[in-house]
Amino acid sequence: MNLITARFGEIDVDESKVIDMRGGVIGFEHLKKFVLHIQDEKNPFWWFQSLDDGKVAFVVINPFIAKADYEPVIDDNDTKLLEIENAEHVVLLAIVTILQNPFSVSVNLRAPIVVNAEKKIAKQVILEDQTCPVQYYLTTTGSGDEASIA
Amino acid sequence: MLILTRKLGESITIGDDIKITFLEAKGKQVRIGIEAPPHIAVHREEIYQLIREQNIQAAKVDSIEKDTLPDILDGLRNLLLKDQQEL
Repeated sequence: MNLITARFGEIDVDESKVIDMRGGVIGFEHLKKFVLHIQDEKNPFWWFQSLDDGKVAFVVINPFIAKADYEPVIDDNDTKLLEIENAEHVVLLAIVTILQNPFSVSVNLRAPIVVNAEKKIAKQVILEDQTCPVQYYLTTTGSGDEASIA
Repeated sequence: MLILTRKLGESITIGDDIKITFLEAKGKQVRIGIEAPPHIAVHREEIYQLIREQNIQAAKVDSIEKDTLPDILDGLRNLLLKDQQEL
């Protein structure tokens, strides 16, 4: 199956890898199907590309790469909804916000996309833990919580 | 807006499967319990709005020129990997 995207032009989508969103990405609830698009194997930044709207794609990262001591607790309702039986099948994706003027890059650690990789179902959850920042900065130009790397 | 008055311990139901119970009132704070099926998302309004706005900002990555973004991501990757080596 081919998809016309704004960023990558036409891409070939392996239908067995299509992720079904339960509840959707907040604010984008109308978009139900996504694929994880890895442009460069060596780069930890991946793309979460909508199949319903080729114009919508999010930069995502494994949140544990952004913050090694990240400790998300997934609500029982969400594990039930995502049919998670084995923690090994869970993949977390944190949405990255890149702004140009002024330049800043932040990772949303409060609302990761939880993927059941085995069943290809996912949901953006909101963690109860209020210490997880919505904007965890990878650059020093932003304000708020910052990673030590910049 | 439908406005109802309830006593503590009393509930309201919405549809067949949503139940909201008023548990405790202390000054200007009210504790409520919500029972809803897993596919119904229940969030505090302000955090829901915050994350919605953050997602909309994040999706604007499409406005960043195609040519410059790979460089930005490469630069960030180097920062992240450098950090891991130091650890």
